[in-house]
Amino acid sequence: MQAFERELLTLLPRLRRFARSLARDAADADDLAQLSLERALKAQAQWAPGTRLDAWMMRIMRNCWIDEIRSRTRRAQTFAPAEEGETVGSDAHRDIERAAEMKDVDRAMNALPDEQREAIALVLVEGLAYREAAELLDIPIGTLTSRLTRGRQALAQMLEAA
Amino acid sequence: MTMNDDMLMAYLDGELDGEAHAAVETALAADPALRDRLEAQRRLRDRLAAHYGPVADEPVPERLRAMLESSDDKIVDFAEARARRTRPVWQSFAAIAATLVLGLVIGRGLPGDSGPIAVEDGMMVARGSLAEALDTQLASAQAPDAATRIGISFARADGSLCRTFDGADLSGLACREPQGWRVMTAAGGTDQQTGGYRQAGGAAIVMQAAQDMMAGEPFDADAERRARDAGWQAAR
Repeated sequence: MQAFERELLTLLPRLRRFARSLARDAADADDLAQLSLERALKAQAQWAPGTRLDAWMMRIMRNCWIDEIRSRTRRAQTFAPAEEGETVGSDAHRDIERAAEMKDVDRAMNALPDEQREAIALVLVEGLAYREAAELLDIPIGTLTSRLTRGRQALAQMLEAA
Repeated sequence: MTMNDDMLMAYLDGELDGEAHAAVETALAADPALRDRLEAQRRLRDRLAAHYGPVADEPVPERLRAMLESSDDKIVDFAEARARRTRPVWQSFAAIAATLVLGLVIGRGLPGDSGPIAVEDGMMVARGSLAEALDTQLASAQAPDAATRIGISFARADGSLCRTFDGADLSGLACREPQGWRVMTAAGGTDQQTGGYRQAGGAAIVMQAAQDMMAGEPFDADAERRARDAGWQAAR
């Protein structure tokens, strides 16, 4: 194994945690981690040694998540409404089962707009500084802080109510 | 100074210093409602940490780990590598020369017959634990701490089977012949940093040699297993 893979291997636990805070549930999170690793291995030449591999990896993962969410939303639109439970496909059943297993925090995070959720994941879960998170998301710091604040207010509300 | 939530949360996140930090502390001291808001946000942060934190302590699923452990040099895109095969002649000579030099060094450096390679009838032949790894080890199922790791297995144009291997002292490419595993290419191993050779891409030279010899694609896990179970007999 080469240095690049070795370093990725030591980052894996953290990357899974980040994936978990972005994705809808544990199964999706590991799919996201796998997709991100595939992209990273293909794009290895684009990583400049000496720069932070964790930030590079989180950016890849965040982009994978955005792509994934878009395709998933399109698929979700083809599902029948949950009330027609008898006739919907097994995918929808699985979604319902998954939703039942979700913890309050998962549910609250899932309810956030994507842009607030990724800000919360980077700063509150991964502990990035505002400047690092803003750079990673390519947004000004002021935009990041207002997303963070709105996201936190919403989370606090949902979780205190739960 | 009125305290908005952006500032309060930046305070909580340790993003404020100097005047701004002092201003929030002053405001907190004077305003119990503000302290409540800060406490609620601290609880939220703790709750997120308690929820997601343990994920980083879970064992990493094998399928993710395996992607990194098996990628190594096999990440080379074979189709692309084949397209590139018309490389400058001097490069091949350099690779061959380097390999020969290493072959000599390894051949000479082996004390008696205890090394991984013996010279028989002018051929380098794998022996001992290297021969055993080549005989039995499957790339798709090798222990993470195996002394020698098998890379890819493939057939040559004449049907004989070859495998790449990588160990601490020695990496290379061996093909199965009647007298055993004939080492076609040898280079420094993973831990070998001497002579600037490994840095120059010993593994890449082994992989290039393998790709030049290969007829078709490298074996997948099933083909590898079948070949082993058949004793590495040449395919017809």
